[in-house]
Amino acid sequence: MKQIQPRQNYLGPGGWVWAGKYKLERYLYLLHRITGLGILLFLLIHLVMTTIFRIQGQDVWEATIALLHNPWFKIGEYLVAAAFVYHALNGLRLILQELGFAMGRPTPPIYPYKDSLRKKRPWTIALVAVIVILALVFFYDFIAGGW
Amino acid sequence: MRNTYLQFLQLVTGIFIAVLLGIHMVIMHLDAILGFFGVDVTEATSWESMIERAGQGVWAGLYIALLAFVLYHALNGLRGIILELTPSATTERIVTWVIIAFGIIAFIGGTYVPLALLAGQELS
Repeated sequence: MKQIQPRQNYLGPGGWVWAGKYKLERYLYLLHRITGLGILLFLLIHLVMTTIFRIQGQDVWEATIALLHNPWFKIGEYLVAAAFVYHALNGLRLILQELGFAMGRPTPPIYPYKDSLRKKRPWTIALVAVIVILALVFFYDFIAGGW
Repeated sequence: MRNTYLQFLQLVTGIFIAVLLGIHMVIMHLDAILGFFGVDVTEATSWESMIERAGQGVWAGLYIALLAFVLYHALNGLRGIILELTPSATTERIVTWVIIAFGIIAFIGGTYVPLALLAGQELS
């Protein structure tokens, strides 16, 4: 007799970089994790700069700031700003979803199924658009304001 | 049950960070756009501007609160990622305690400097 196999949707650590058959939200989750780790890396550098270097007085502070005006650091700084915009707005979406706010009324499971994530997908896409616009606003300021 | 509370705190700190870090990011990075609307925050990273903010209790309080929220949110998030590898109970305990120790050290270091600056210690 043929054994019924459950759908193989366990991705393991590979799922950290590849979303398999999952849809948009799974990729947003991957990006959430990547931006989170990126911001954490920045936080460590930022803490060293604002504690060890700041307490040593004006000369050390100004030398540190001059070093951070290096174009590579500027690019990194912009990436952190964009990562923050993404992580914050996607995080608010995740909070609403996790606590069940604004998810709409439950509907009976009649084919074609409409789960709450799929129902809210237009809003999710709108959120991505807002994130892109805000990231562009920050980009404008990085170019316009003393690059 | 404990992880439920840790995750709930993750959500709460996330909201606080979105507000506080939002202010921080706008002041640090949107100076040209703020200037367009008549708010002058140019050179927020200059020594004079930094020392002026460091001398105000409100800023010191906001930064220390932000540090506490960010450290919890970041380290609890990192812990969640590491524990997704489902290590043994011993490894889990080691990871948890290393992260707690790191968080406490970072909080002490990150609190000492703003308080020292607030107290007006003479810096060369």
